[in-house]
Amino acid sequence: MRDNLTLPFDVIVCGAGHAGCEAALASARTGARTLLLTGNLDTVAQMSCNPAIGGQAKGQIVREIDALGGEMAINADVTGIQFRLLNESKGPAVQSPRAQCDKKAYQFRMKHTLEIQPNLQLFQATVTGLIFEHAAAGARRVCGVRTNLDLEFCSQTVVVTTGTFLRGLMHIGQNKNEGGRLGDFSAKTLSASFLEAGIELRRLKTGTPPRLAGRSIDFSRMEPQYGDARPTLFAFYDTRDAEPLFHVEQGAGNGVTLREERLGWTPGRDQVPCWMTYTTDRTAQLVRDNLHLSAMYSGEIEGVGPRYCPSIEDKFVRFADKPRHLLFLEPEGRSTNEFYINGLSTSLPFAVQVQMVRSIPGLERAELLRPAYAVEYDFAPPTQLYPSLESKKVEHLFFAGQINGTSGYEEAAGQGLIAGVNAARKTRGESPLILGRHEAYIGVLIDDLVTKGTTEPYRMFTSRAEHRLLFNHGSAELRLLNHAREGRLISPSRLARIEAKAGRINQWLEILERMRPVAGELGVGEGTWADLLRRQAAKGGGMAEIQAASIGPAGFLELPEVERVEVCYRIVYAGYLAREQRQVAKLLEVEKVKIPPDFDFSAVRGLRAESRSKWIDARPVSVGQAGRISGVSPADLSVLLVALEARRRDRLAAVPDQRLD
Amino acid sequence: MFHSPTPYALGSEAVPAATDLSRDTIAALATPTGSSALAVIRLSGPACRGLAAEIFGREPQQLPVRRPVYASYRSMSGQMLDDLVWVFLPGPRTVTAEDTLELSPHGNPLIVQLILDDLFKRGCRPAEPGEFTRRSFLSGKIDLTQAEAVMDLIHARSERALAVAQRQLRGGLGRVVEGLIAELLVLLARIEVYVDFPDEDLPPEDRFEVIAALREVLRGTKQLLATERFGGLLRDGVKTVLLGAPNAGKSSLLNALVGRSRALVGPEPGTTRDYLEERLKIGPHLLRLVDTAGLNPLPGAVERQGMAKTLECLMDADLVLWVLDAANITVELDPVYAKHLVAGKVIVVLNKADLVAGGHIASLALPHPIKAVSAMTGLGLVELGLEITQVIDRFAPDAFGAAELAVNARHAEALRRAEVVLDTAANGLSAENEYPIELISSDLRSALDALGEIAGRVDHERMLDALFSNFCIGK
Repeated sequence: MRDNLTLPFDVIVCGAGHAGCEAALASARTGARTLLLTGNLDTVAQMSCNPAIGGQAKGQIVREIDALGGEMAINADVTGIQFRLLNESKGPAVQSPRAQCDKKAYQFRMKHTLEIQPNLQLFQATVTGLIFEHAAAGARRVCGVRTNLDLEFCSQTVVVTTGTFLRGLMHIGQNKNEGGRLGDFSAKTLSASFLEAGIELRRLKTGTPPRLAGRSIDFSRMEPQYGDARPTLFAFYDTRDAEPLFHVEQGAGNGVTLREERLGWTPGRDQVPCWMTYTTDRTAQLVRDNLHLSAMYSGEIEGVGPRYCPSIEDKFVRFADKPRHLLFLEPEGRSTNEFYINGLSTSLPFAVQVQMVRSIPGLERAELLRPAYAVEYDFAPPTQLYPSLESKKVEHLFFAGQINGTSGYEEAAGQGLIAGVNAARKTRGESPLILGRHEAYIGVLIDDLVTKGTTEPYRMFTSRAEHRLLFNHGSAELRLLNHAREGRLISPSRLARIEAKAGRINQWLEILERMRPVAGELGVGEGTWADLLRRQAAKGGGMAEIQAASIGPAGFLELPEVERVEVCYRIVYAGYLAREQRQVAKLLEVEKVKIPPDFDFSAVRGLRAESRSKWIDARPVSVGQAGRISGVSPADLSVLLVALEARRRDRLAAVPDQRLD
Repeated sequence: MFHSPTPYALGSEAVPAATDLSRDTIAALATPTGSSALAVIRLSGPACRGLAAEIFGREPQQLPVRRPVYASYRSMSGQMLDDLVWVFLPGPRTVTAEDTLELSPHGNPLIVQLILDDLFKRGCRPAEPGEFTRRSFLSGKIDLTQAEAVMDLIHARSERALAVAQRQLRGGLGRVVEGLIAELLVLLARIEVYVDFPDEDLPPEDRFEVIAALREVLRGTKQLLATERFGGLLRDGVKTVLLGAPNAGKSSLLNALVGRSRALVGPEPGTTRDYLEERLKIGPHLLRLVDTAGLNPLPGAVERQGMAKTLECLMDADLVLWVLDAANITVELDPVYAKHLVAGKVIVVLNKADLVAGGHIASLALPHPIKAVSAMTGLGLVELGLEITQVIDRFAPDAFGAAELAVNARHAEALRRAEVVLDTAANGLSAENEYPIELISSDLRSALDALGEIAGRVDHERMLDALFSNFCIGK
């Protein structure tokens, strides 16, 4: 019997977390027949750690995902219960939107989105192994997957997004349980499949804090933290099609638009607060007294944990002079009273956790609903990938998300989208979508991963981007316009709206730099409108003041606010942005010098052994990428350039001039 | 001269020529030409092993390694050229990472030439200037600053230049710049932590502390930059101008110092109408001694031309020897010239001291050291030499104490770029400006990139290392 599952697929995505969902949607939306396999359909797009999307750099990634036709932005907007623009007091480039989301609503809406996506097949089965075929010249190529149900699925390409599930091992004190997440299973056999294909695996560790019952919390002893009165949303509603925004209970077919305000809730309305409290001396004492029982401190855990997300043990040990640590209680949703304690990740035994929680103001009588735990898992060092996220070891196999050593829903989703698009493009023989370091956080993320690899769970920071001044969150659509067009990632109608928006912005930039205020207008005789804006910014400081001051000719002030903000940003920061552009141009120079895939680094005379072995491992695709690998000296780069030049000349000399034919 | 490429400079000049990849074996005299007790001929390249075996009658695979061997050198035609010591050094543990052969014949120029000719007949080719260094650099044995130091070493004409070049070769400059980078990274971390972790429980932002730290880095950058002129002095010599009235004996003094008749010397005042330049070593220093047209109060047309040149020379002089006639002292000087006589770079030379009756020289109220000499008899020349040495010694920037460093033009260019952006950052941090912090950060990153062109690229991961070790981050 041949049915919709036994026909060969173009793309199979293994895992339906944040990476897998975006991968499957991107693949299906760009026209590939796609199968999404997950071990448990009830945990699609689950937020395994805190119930929030966005934040520093991550918020920008979410907006980039929206600009590339992804789902995370709109899904977070529609299920968000508190919205804050971080760093509002700082410049636009480092402002980031963040939202607390209703955990269950987020999952339900994403699952339903997958269900109604044309070209996409959803199926519950655990992938237990990959099926390989031998391509030419001994290379291995993936051609399908095996599952625990003894069902095999065939496809041209496979995207692996297995998160923390590869040989996942959870620790609570000395207690150990197999699984990628509390209550879930561990994928034990898939690792063997990777090893068989010569893919190296290493261990990482991460952790999550306890969850509390809301009824047992005394909020009167805590400081509330409210959302913004004017929420900053992730998706670009000014250019998006009027597609239905729905909550799952309303059904996609009967969906309503944002403007009609007939949703279960409108994004940004009826926000709920988070709560702030602090650890106490007693908390510190409990940690110190029980340190030997912590899984991390007793040597039970071999994996490396993230420095930016230390356990409470780490905080008290490494920063012993800091008397107390800030904690946030975050609501997990509207239809639950469960709370997440941000800042109290630990692998201490459960009994100690209870005492520790109760040593905190407002939590004296707290009931724990779920314990904190640490989880160790396999990851595949991402230097084994090309910038397309395709494996260097196995053709047609793509990796995205936590298996690449990252942490965070947004980082996973960004990679998922790129891997999904590229897996689909591969089936059509099209060149991959690769975002530059100068274009997007997603570009920085993937370049860092495949070039430098990572030794801890990798999280994006704005400071990782050399050109972050170009990455203000509002410009994501404009920055990625060409990629969206060339990759056919968004609808022609939205594309046209973005192009029109970009046109207006450029036009006003030109006008304001040229035009002077005329009699009767503010600031007559003080140069151009642009001068006026820049002076105002230098005087009053921020962009907010400029917008409030309503500087500009009549037509400009009638522009939609988001466009006006972008124009003001580019005018006020013009000098700095121009410098960044110059640096980008320099970067692109070396990026243009490509290293052929068959280039033999071991045959280059005069390379230092360190650089040679790093390049052989990393197989950089350009001189620019080769130079970003740590430990490579300028001298080695010169040698590489010489070798590439010599090869080019040899080839030119060896091949008769074909233009004569 | 071999130019040092930066990773991002792809101009034809920056990329070493493709011939560097050739498998030629090069040979050259490594010691100065001329007669000496011993000379050293150096060979580098794949043919070294075969050549040593062939010339000294050994099995190629059984050559003594890194061990001096005494042997006779016979030419291809069987002629005995010299008894010498040879050492074979297999790559890659050599300066060029290639097989290297060193021959130490007697330092007779004829013998050396015959051996070199024989080696060329055997298939070696003469090394181009600096080619050993280039091979060494391309083999990754030395880094950019080291390669440049080797070049300076080759061109070092004085002990002082040699000492600085050697220090740089050992990584002195790299270490100082690395120190600046480390300070800057900590500074950047203190800014970035407020950008990337807005919801953390951090100590309040303190811009003043950041400014203070920034000024420290700026000071270090300026100090390093100040060594550029000193570097020039070492490489090109101290420009020393002989200034004085016609017939005060400037040219005679120049000749006396150089030790041979170089300038036109005549009894008529004003013989030197243009200027002459002579290089000589005094103590550890290299001097470019410039003889100028005399300062005639009533100049003719030709003399006026010469005096314009004199002023030009004076303006960029490192040191001025102001020559006065001891028998007929006039210290009056046209202010046009006088204003360039800055204390610390002037020595007053009272020439013709032998002609002063009874040796009684009038004392002078000038803020410069004064030395009485006679260019004719040689009286006081040794003392003058010592004085010159001392004055030049004081030119050395004292900021680095014993660790004398001198940056070259490429370093200085990068340092100047760093200086500009650090200044901008300090300005942006000030209370009257208070620019958004991410702009300050952008400036600091530009400074790091510039410094990275000297000491090697700065990975932003290092800023995060500094951040996480200094601040308790994480929820």
